[in-house]
Amino acid sequence: MVSINYATREVTCKIVYYGPGLSGKTTNLIYVHKKVPATSKGKMISLATEADRTLYFDFLPINIGTINGFAAKFQLYTVPGQVYYNATRKLVLRGADGLVFVADSQVEKMDENIESLTNLRENLEEYGYNIDEIPIVIQYNKRDLPGALPLEELNAKLNTRGWKSFEAEAVNGGGVFDTLKMIIKLVLEKAKNTRTTTTSAARTAASPQTAASAAGASVPPAAGTPVSPPASVGTRQEAGAPAEPAPIREPAYQAKPKPRPDDTSAKVAAPSFEQNVPPDEAPVTAPLQPASMADISDSGAAAPERPVAEEVEKPDSSMPRPFPGSTGRIARRERRITVSDFQPAARDEDLSALRSRLSNDTDQLDNAAISSLPSPSMAPSERVVKKKRNFFKRLLGIK
Amino acid sequence: MTEDNLVIYEEEIEKIDTNLARMLKGAEAKCALLVDKDGHLITRQGFTHSLDTTALAALLAGSFASTKEIARLVGESEFSVLFHQGKKDHIHMSLVGDRSILAVIFDDRTTIGMVRLYAKESATELGKIFAMLKDRSSAGSPGLTDEFAASAGDKLDDIFQD
Repeated sequence: MVSINYATREVTCKIVYYGPGLSGKTTNLIYVHKKVPATSKGKMISLATEADRTLYFDFLPINIGTINGFAAKFQLYTVPGQVYYNATRKLVLRGADGLVFVADSQVEKMDENIESLTNLRENLEEYGYNIDEIPIVIQYNKRDLPGALPLEELNAKLNTRGWKSFEAEAVNGGGVFDTLKMIIKLVLEKAKNTRTTTTSAARTAASPQTAASAAGASVPPAAGTPVSPPASVGTRQEAGAPAEPAPIREPAYQAKPKPRPDDTSAKVAAPSFEQNVPPDEAPVTAPLQPASMADISDSGAAAPERPVAEEVEKPDSSMPRPFPGSTGRIARRERRITVSDFQPAARDEDLSALRSRLSNDTDQLDNAAISSLPSPSMAPSERVVKKKRNFFKRLLGIK
Repeated sequence: MTEDNLVIYEEEIEKIDTNLARMLKGAEAKCALLVDKDGHLITRQGFTHSLDTTALAALLAGSFASTKEIARLVGESEFSVLFHQGKKDHIHMSLVGDRSILAVIFDDRTTIGMVRLYAKESATELGKIFAMLKDRSSAGSPGLTDEFAASAGDKLDDIFQD
């Protein structure tokens, strides 16, 4: 059926070249493609086998120009002619507005012509189309070959319905355009008769055009053309295109950059977070800068406790652990300081309280350190652990 | 022919285009083509400038038609969704109403699931628009005029010169 699009101002018709295998359907299209000006044709597509036999269809869109503000476009299809491709052949017939039956004029091909014609009727009937209603032109191809049958005989056998017929030599282009012109005319006449309703239907943008074309007798044909854009198949500049809202074309790609502001803000936030980290570490490292024992002992007893506790909570697994309870060289030094520093204070305190606290501490430290060990190979031997523990116990008199 | 001509007006195309644009934005797909089963392009949205949409429409319709035959052979009436996967770009096709196909072309920035979800939603809405269009079409619509056929005849002589 003819497609009339008022938004893009296009009238599109589908014309199918039918006929037996090797009768010259694709050759017809190739010639049209070769001769039609580049501005009036699209790309020809051929779904063919490696041996250049049509497998599914050949497709050639042609644009005959703007008429009354509408671009008249015709889509030329060919079917695979070979008998066993009937399934795909039938599919191409769907929605055809007109047919060109390309018959092979050679005497030995007459049976194939008749078989193909019968097949055409059957396939059309399956779609519910009537072969007597659809515009058909018959083309007797290969007239240049010596074995070609006389025209009368061909007409008598193939053209029993009185279709328009043309003689052709598709390879040289003879009769190709005559056939095409005729089928286009028949298709447009048929389309006109299919829908000849009055054009007074109140349609927003369509009505001026249709009114102009309805009053075609009084209005010159050029009246409609200034409104219409110069349409061509290759560069599609429809009337609908400018009317399209600009943001519609973009959103799919504009949606992507949206997360970027968030990303950058995240990046801005990240350094500030990183900058916050060193100040936290600074108090830990700063008191440790003075290497001398005197400085550290002067710094007071309360200060070292906090770093030790923190080090136990957040062990640095990347550093080697000399013994359980230590989380690194820094912590070890801290530990040594605290023990020596606690000694004088302990004398004043209740000794039993200190003992129990230290024994608890050592147990906790051991457990925490052992559980956070990176690998068994890094763990000190049982003997060393025991020895160390006994040293502290002996030192503090714990049994 | 038994079927009426397919006549589409601007307001319908606008509705369809808005629908397609919304679908594209949601699914983050590259472009969408709405194709008649006969191979006529109805409308398109998104980044289609680099595409030969006329040929694409014909081939998509052909692809859908051949799949329908395959479906028939395995006992299905029709496959409603078709998916072609490529290295970078993929095509998702789905049936709209009873005579149109919605083809969505997308790449790896989105997923098939997203496209499927939004295409399904869009197809439902488009189906309603087409049903409306069909009712209107059967009620009567302006067709081609005598003048159109006559002018076409003149144009043909200009273009088809041996």
